[in-house]
Amino acid sequence: MKGLRYQLKSVLHDKFCLMTFLLPVIVAAALGLAGQIDFSSLGGTLSFGVLEEGISSHTAAWLNRYGTVMVYRTPGELADAVKEPSTNLIGVETAGNGIRTMVSGDELEIYLRTADTLPVLYERRNQAAEAKVQILERPGVMAGLGDMFAAAILIVAMFMGCTFNAMNMISEKEDGVAFVNEILPMTRRQYIVQKISVGFIFGCLSAVLTACICFRFSWKNMFLMLALIVLSVFVSALVGMLIGGASEGLMTGMVYIKVVMLLFMAVPILDFILGISQPVLSAVCYLVPSQATFEGILDLSAGGGAKAVKDIGILAGHCVGWSFLYMWVSGRRRSGITHTN
Amino acid sequence: MKGFRALLKKDVWLMAAGKFFPMSLVFLILYTLYVNFGYVRFMEEPIYQVYLYDPQGTQGDASRLLHRVDSLEEMDAALLHDANAVGIDASTGEAQLILYGRTEEIDRHRADYALSLLEPSGSERAKVIGSNTPEQKARKEITCELLFFEIAAVGFLGIAAILFKEKSMGVIRVHAVLPIQKNLFLLSKLLLFLLCDLIFALLLTLLGVGVRDAVSLLPQVLLQTALLSLIMALTGLVCALLLKDFRQFTLAYLVIAIFAATPVFLVANTAVKLDWIRFHPFYHIYMGLKNAYFEMQEANIGYYLGCLAGIAVLFAAARYMFGREMRREG
Repeated sequence: MKGLRYQLKSVLHDKFCLMTFLLPVIVAAALGLAGQIDFSSLGGTLSFGVLEEGISSHTAAWLNRYGTVMVYRTPGELADAVKEPSTNLIGVETAGNGIRTMVSGDELEIYLRTADTLPVLYERRNQAAEAKVQILERPGVMAGLGDMFAAAILIVAMFMGCTFNAMNMISEKEDGVAFVNEILPMTRRQYIVQKISVGFIFGCLSAVLTACICFRFSWKNMFLMLALIVLSVFVSALVGMLIGGASEGLMTGMVYIKVVMLLFMAVPILDFILGISQPVLSAVCYLVPSQATFEGILDLSAGGGAKAVKDIGILAGHCVGWSFLYMWVSGRRRSGITHTN
Repeated sequence: MKGFRALLKKDVWLMAAGKFFPMSLVFLILYTLYVNFGYVRFMEEPIYQVYLYDPQGTQGDASRLLHRVDSLEEMDAALLHDANAVGIDASTGEAQLILYGRTEEIDRHRADYALSLLEPSGSERAKVIGSNTPEQKARKEITCELLFFEIAAVGFLGIAAILFKEKSMGVIRVHAVLPIQKNLFLLSKLLLFLLCDLIFALLLTLLGVGVRDAVSLLPQVLLQTALLSLIMALTGLVCALLLKDFRQFTLAYLVIAIFAATPVFLVANTAVKLDWIRFHPFYHIYMGLKNAYFEMQEANIGYYLGCLAGIAVLFAAARYMFGREMRREG
């Protein structure tokens, strides 16, 4: 307990360390302030480019039913906008009584086919209006992209415990404190508990503050969220300890952190964007702890709870698994040191 | 010259000791695998699937693009599995559309598109005005993003890791008494990182974009890589000289990764537009690299002058900080 107090004291004296934990909170607040960003444009919305004098207001109004209409002054500007790789703009021009479309040719199939079929839809515009359409609601089909960013920031907050633990252990190795630790009257267990606790406590605080800024939950979901945070931060603190132990220097440590961070962020975000439905691939994604965290957060933000309980179970499994892995690796390292001596 | 060669040799040794070269190789292999076997395959989004339930066969002329189903249950299951799909229930003789809601505009388009398939027309194609195929675009896009990320992260971190190592070894103190110009100490590091980044960019472009397409865009890509590499390496040097230890430096790294890179990637690669992004220096550098990959309009003279001015200011700052560090050390 006394050792932990020293560890906490050293963290509190280190302003940069505190900033590390506060960073996700600041980003979450910035995201809240930047609420004006229109993330809906990421969700596959159609956009059309037309010339100022090129089409009638009637045609422009018809295009507006399907998506955004951007007006350009010259054919050159329109062509440049269509060719711009970051957008999927479909150029539309009048051709007799109908319309003609143009594309860059590098768009996804959905936009190419839309451009191909748009003149036909225009021809039959009056016919289509008569059909009966039944729109079904399905909760959670597509959680808002804003929620996805908030969940990603929350994962970064939880990951801070990992970064801190790893960097702390690497710095101790670099400064020679690791050797001092070897001769201190402190058992291996005490050392592990102290190290995990620091990353764990601050990671939890950072994640809780971030969650408070980004989400509004019911009481029941708040407890589920807390369970998700506690388990995720514990796993990330353990991963940080593993990285710290395995790294020989600052550079290798940073590379390990970078790889783990990429993996932690990329797997759930790719799964979310691509909507992986294959059971085996989906199960493989759950081998990365942040996948369960991410899914749980999105479920709770959509007002659910059942899926989050399952994700908490998976994270509990991760806690046990990573603890055993850490103890095994740590035991092997120690026996290696003993053999060397 | 002999002193400069010795400095270069020392920096190569430090980079080798920090396992910089094998790590770059591992990342090159990982990125190449991701471009060729991951991203290119992920980036596929077909047009909405349309399912038709027509037990009485009233829609005889329907397009072959429609998937006919034998029961409403089968259609429901298909729609549940693919939330973008549209169902047409023609069991009453009149077509009724069933779909899971997305946005109002998209739903309208999905419905009209599905109806249009009931009466297929001639296969008119949109006019293609670009020169890239979807696969070429995907390859160029992801290679550009990975290269930017790698140089921004590794150039920045790598040079700082070396400098902190030298600080801890007392090398800076030794330099204070050596008859070597301060500039050479900085130049040897910059030159090495520039070379490494150029080789990395060359290999990643050849392996990611493909040899045939890469040849024409390589000169511009390498020019933009050189500018980015120098700016990032100098920023890394300034930060490393400014901050106490590597742990503090990681914070600066996180700030750059989160605050600097995220909005740039968001604006440059998606339809999201932020008005203030034109004041973000990384945006212009990233767009320079992206325009080089897509062989879009070449940057104007103002951009190059801005980059050179940035490099000059950063170099002067690094030189001043290095002098201050040497005075402090001894």
